[in-house]
Amino acid sequence: MSKYMLVLIYSGIFPLLFSFYPALKFWRNYKALIFTLILLVIFFGTWDIFATWRNHWYFNPQGIIGIKIINLPVEEWLFFIVIPFCCIFTWEAINFIKEKIK
Amino acid sequence: MKEYTLIAVGSVIFTFLVDKFTKVYLLKKKEFYLFIVIILSFKFLVNGYLTGVNIVIYNPKFFLGVRLGSIPLEDFLFGFSMVSLGIISWELFKKK
Repeated sequence: MSKYMLVLIYSGIFPLLFSFYPALKFWRNYKALIFTLILLVIFFGTWDIFATWRNHWYFNPQGIIGIKIINLPVEEWLFFIVIPFCCIFTWEAINFIKEKIK
Repeated sequence: MKEYTLIAVGSVIFTFLVDKFTKVYLLKKKEFYLFIVIILSFKFLVNGYLTGVNIVIYNPKFFLGVRLGSIPLEDFLFGFSMVSLGIISWELFKKK
């Protein structure tokens, strides 16, 4: 297990668990979620491929598993799925609580 | 201007335009700023760790060299665009 992969697991685990809280009805919008994540993977993946190719940044081989898709570590691709998922969950949670206290 | 800086600023301008033309107006919502504060605190943990223990290493030729903690300034623009475009898309396509 790489350090980067652990970061993704620790980031995503609680939002993922809480997303199944029934009253939140989070997964009702699974199509919007999938569509959004695909958009982000394409858009920010392209940016990242370019930046890595240009050497704006690079990934320490000691922090990653070492499997690459195009020129990005598999963890970096997962980053564009896990982190936006956490953000969308947080956004929904804020709006859910706002409705509750209104 | 440095390349990463330029692209990052461009992505923020793009995000503002998308927010306007999709009429989601996320940036005008009060909750968005509470959201940003919460996300920012997690960003310091996640991005701070990734840059702090050198999992991602930045080439000084391509960014300003200004960091908040271990995080390059440009990363905050990258993050802002990614998070905001994500929520705009979600708001656009979710069932009301």
